[in-house]
Amino acid sequence: MKVFLAALVFAAITAVGVAIVLSAVQMPSYVAFSTGGARVGDPGNNLVGQDWNSTII
Amino acid sequence: MPSSLSKLRALSAAIVLLFAFAAPAAAQLSFKPTAEAVQEDKLLNALKEGDKISGRISIPDTMASSLIQPGGRDWRDFHRSKLPIIGGVAIIGMVALLAIFLMVRGRIRVEHGFAGTKILRFASFERFTHWLTASCFIVLALSGLNISFGRILILPLFGADAFSAMSTWAKYAHDYLAFPFMLGLIIMFLIWIKDNIPGKLDLLWIRQGGGILANGQHPPARRFNAGQKGIFWIVIIGGTLMSVSGWYLLFPYLPADVTTLQFWTVIHAVIAMLFIAAMLAHIYIGSVGMEGAFDAMGTGEVDLNWAKEHHSLWVEEEQAKGHAPSGTAPRAMPAE
Repeated sequence: MKVFLAALVFAAITAVGVAIVLSAVQMPSYVAFSTGGARVGDPGNNLVGQDWNSTII
Repeated sequence: MPSSLSKLRALSAAIVLLFAFAAPAAAQLSFKPTAEAVQEDKLLNALKEGDKISGRISIPDTMASSLIQPGGRDWRDFHRSKLPIIGGVAIIGMVALLAIFLMVRGRIRVEHGFAGTKILRFASFERFTHWLTASCFIVLALSGLNISFGRILILPLFGADAFSAMSTWAKYAHDYLAFPFMLGLIIMFLIWIKDNIPGKLDLLWIRQGGGILANGQHPPARRFNAGQKGIFWIVIIGGTLMSVSGWYLLFPYLPADVTTLQFWTVIHAVIAMLFIAAMLAHIYIGSVGMEGAFDAMGTGEVDLNWAKEHHSLWVEEEQAKGHAPSGTAPRAMPAE
């Protein structure tokens, strides 16, 4: 049981670690794959915005 | 007069020629460009497999230059209609087969009963590697199946909001647990490859159906029998294909080509379905299907009689090394 739990914890820690590293290393797609002229307003926060559930005023 | 006649002939010839060339010209004038030009089906059908209509772009995303790729329709059709059928047949078919096998054959018992003496089958690190890979695989399988079947099976049950939230987290889990899965796969390959090389003994094991089809038959086997070797190579080859194809899905701009990306998504999806079906059989025989088998990965130690019945040559090797007790008398079988 200890070995099984250790494997689960290790898997979770590795996954979180990879997520942190990739987030730090990679650029957002709107930066990596478009030029400034192709971006509308505030990249990543335009049109709908980050909160898709917000009430439209 | 002859001059007038020749002029008349020349004029007649000119009129005939005029009509001869004017008729097609008139037909061309009746052509309606807008009626014929916007025939998307004709345009797409004219493109052969692998063809695409591309434009010229200045943004760094080179894949955005593909305007029309007819192969994408086949790819979409595969994912929407063919893949659920392949997956459904593979997974439900395997569950049905195992259920029938359990009903017909019953649970495979330890024929001579438990000896009460244990022998170490898998060390801690081996079990750690197994559970690392297995736990990741289960999450990857469930979150992957959600992509193929979730919209049909789960969305109507939980509603759009819950399904959306669940799918988002499942997608994160799928993306990031892929890395410890790949790590487990590499370690598994390194620590078990030496015991999983196919040999002549495996042919004998296969000829006797592994001894699982009839009571009392126990073909000799070393540490891993032919069935377990089969599972090992399914995991290694299937896992490698899943990893390579998954790498392209994780980093979709690596191939820099939509067609290549679509190819790897198909490989990923088909291998996944077959992989899941194979692992269902592995889970079955390692738990419900065979008495005493789960201990190997549970505690790491198996009953000596179980080991003698399923891995007789391995037990002899361990006894020769002094790693296992020898000469245990089997207990009487309990009355059933």
